[in-house]
Amino acid sequence: MSEPLVLAVPAKGRLQENAEAFFARAGLTLIKPRGARDYRGAVAGLDGVEVAYLSAAEITSQLAAGAVHLGVTGEDLVRELIPDADKQVVLIEGLGFGFANVVVAVPQAWIDVRTMSDIDDVTTSFRQHHDRKMRVATKYINLTRDFFSSHGIVDYRIVESSGATEGAPAAGTAEMIVDITTTGTTLAANGLKIVEDGTILRSQANLVAARGATWGKDERDLARVILDRVAAQARARAFREVRARFAASTEMLVENAKRKFNIETPFGGPTGSGVLTLHCPPDQVYALTNFLRENGAEAVAVAELGYVFSRDNPLFAKLESGL
Amino acid sequence: MDASVTTQRQDPDARAEALVASYERAGYVRVAPAILQPAEPFLDLSGEDIRRRMYLTTAPDGNELCLRPDLTIPVSRDYLASSAAGKPANYCYLGPVFRHRSDAAAEFLQAGIESFGRADKAAADAEMLSLGLEATAHYGVPTPDIQIGDVALFASLIAGLDLPPAWKRRLIKDFNRKTNLAQDLDRLVLGGNNARPEYQGVLAALAGSDPKGAHALVTDLLSIAGINAVGGRSVGEIADRFLEQSALGASARLPREVRGLIERFLAIQGNPDEAAAALRALTREAKMAPALTPALDHFESRTGFLEARGIDVKRVRFSTAFGRGFDYYTGLVFELTDPKRTGDPLVAGGRYDELLTRLGAANPIPAVGFAVWIERLAVYGGAP
Repeated sequence: MSEPLVLAVPAKGRLQENAEAFFARAGLTLIKPRGARDYRGAVAGLDGVEVAYLSAAEITSQLAAGAVHLGVTGEDLVRELIPDADKQVVLIEGLGFGFANVVVAVPQAWIDVRTMSDIDDVTTSFRQHHDRKMRVATKYINLTRDFFSSHGIVDYRIVESSGATEGAPAAGTAEMIVDITTTGTTLAANGLKIVEDGTILRSQANLVAARGATWGKDERDLARVILDRVAAQARARAFREVRARFAASTEMLVENAKRKFNIETPFGGPTGSGVLTLHCPPDQVYALTNFLRENGAEAVAVAELGYVFSRDNPLFAKLESGL
Repeated sequence: MDASVTTQRQDPDARAEALVASYERAGYVRVAPAILQPAEPFLDLSGEDIRRRMYLTTAPDGNELCLRPDLTIPVSRDYLASSAAGKPANYCYLGPVFRHRSDAAAEFLQAGIESFGRADKAAADAEMLSLGLEATAHYGVPTPDIQIGDVALFASLIAGLDLPPAWKRRLIKDFNRKTNLAQDLDRLVLGGNNARPEYQGVLAALAGSDPKGAHALVTDLLSIAGINAVGGRSVGEIADRFLEQSALGASARLPREVRGLIERFLAIQGNPDEAAAALRALTREAKMAPALTPALDHFESRTGFLEARGIDVKRVRFSTAFGRGFDYYTGLVFELTDPKRTGDPLVAGGRYDELLTRLGAANPIPAVGFAVWIERLAVYGGAP
């Protein structure tokens, strides 16, 4: 194989740990054959894949440029740093970590401001009273501009802020901010509140593919393997396996359970001995077991799943249709 | 390939030079403002949205500079900085402007005219439209579509309505940006959407009280909480708007007939004579003569000047809803397009009496002008 498939993974901190753990759960162990300080790695047992350790922002721009095939990065960065993102990259799957919301926040003292339409009104009267525009401190320049524009807000200026954005209103360098928050604690500590309809984006780490990368047969085959494992793992985590045996016919029972508990039947109807295998979302498991027992099951066994491989490969299908 | 690029570039230049020479003969002084401009005035007047279309750079001292995205603001700034500032002055220009466009070159030529300080506004308006038509004729498009609007009419209508100031601000802004108007009218008619549930009780208690006392109370409460000027707004400002909103939430509801009036007003279109007749009738019916008559008189006087300049006003399409999307336009707005091609303007212009004040002029200075899209005309008009 001449050119490797390049998978870009965050190079430090929680994001790196989470990403490595994520791939490990999917049976893809990232290794650094030349030592821990190396910024190039590989996937154990999967030849032809090169792992590039980069910062999340670099991963995003490398994806946009097509210099890497797949990468792990936050949706916030994808939407902010890549113009017309959906034309350049495919967001294949949210990975369940790195959650952060990009929000509009204003001083708590603004008791008259609750919604974006209040901000619209306040920014205009501010310009009329103060002869200058309100300033919004943010590092999310493009997201802010698009969001404000979608709310018809025109009388504001963006002040670029590369760190400690939440301090800008108190420091007097801006009147309000657009920033990421997970719990809102930092915002509250700085006397800021989130505008009710001011959540611009609910972001999490995503597995992202570059449309502009070279996608020959070799690269596609490798991507298929990686995505198959990721999908099998994701599916396994989304369900618990519930098994029970029934004496009578279960057709109606299964139809009812599908409607009530969002279950799936990976192996179809019951086996010859009447054993039924269901896949059920974790939060519905207990309700489902009650339901099954009320309807004639003697015992119900629930187990966690390691992997669920299915014939179709939905994530790869998503990649293929996006390329 | 190189050869075709060269011909394309030289051709518009030569014809455009002739066009601008005709403006100079008509008394417009040719100016050539700097290509590199401070970014601030453009961002300030056009909004952050223009940033995505601008070519920006940062000087070592931290100041943001841009390649000029239009010439109106540069010509206006040079005029304000000159000794002619405040006096009548007429300028024309021809030169490149720079805007990021996904479907066309970022650098393209614009010619145009800026006329400052003329008090005979209706005549000046008509002259702009007439010169704009000469420009398209110069390029072999003698009968473009003529679309005009008049921002002053909508502004006068809203000013004359009995509405809370916050809603007037809002409706004017909606008109300028051409969105949300229908949605806001819906909200106004339904009313009550501004109620703040968590403060409902307090607001109800304040509703009937003396406004000064209510203001003092809210100000005091904010001060007790140790809040002074947070985020650039003073406690007084916050209190004022809080009470204004509470008044809105409690009582304001746009009467259906007012909404109907606004909608009927915005539906008026046709040639200027038909439109004027319809506007007069609506004004009489709604008893809004004091508010609308000055703007209507001006409108009709302008139509007279258009006729005097030999423009067939039957060909002019007027619409009350036609605007330009910038809040410094104050009167006439117009666009000349080629109906056989795309709807992209060949010439676009209007009156922007608020522009020079926004750029720092101490006193209002009337301003009117237009810009000519040279490359587009050269293509649409064909060979000279």
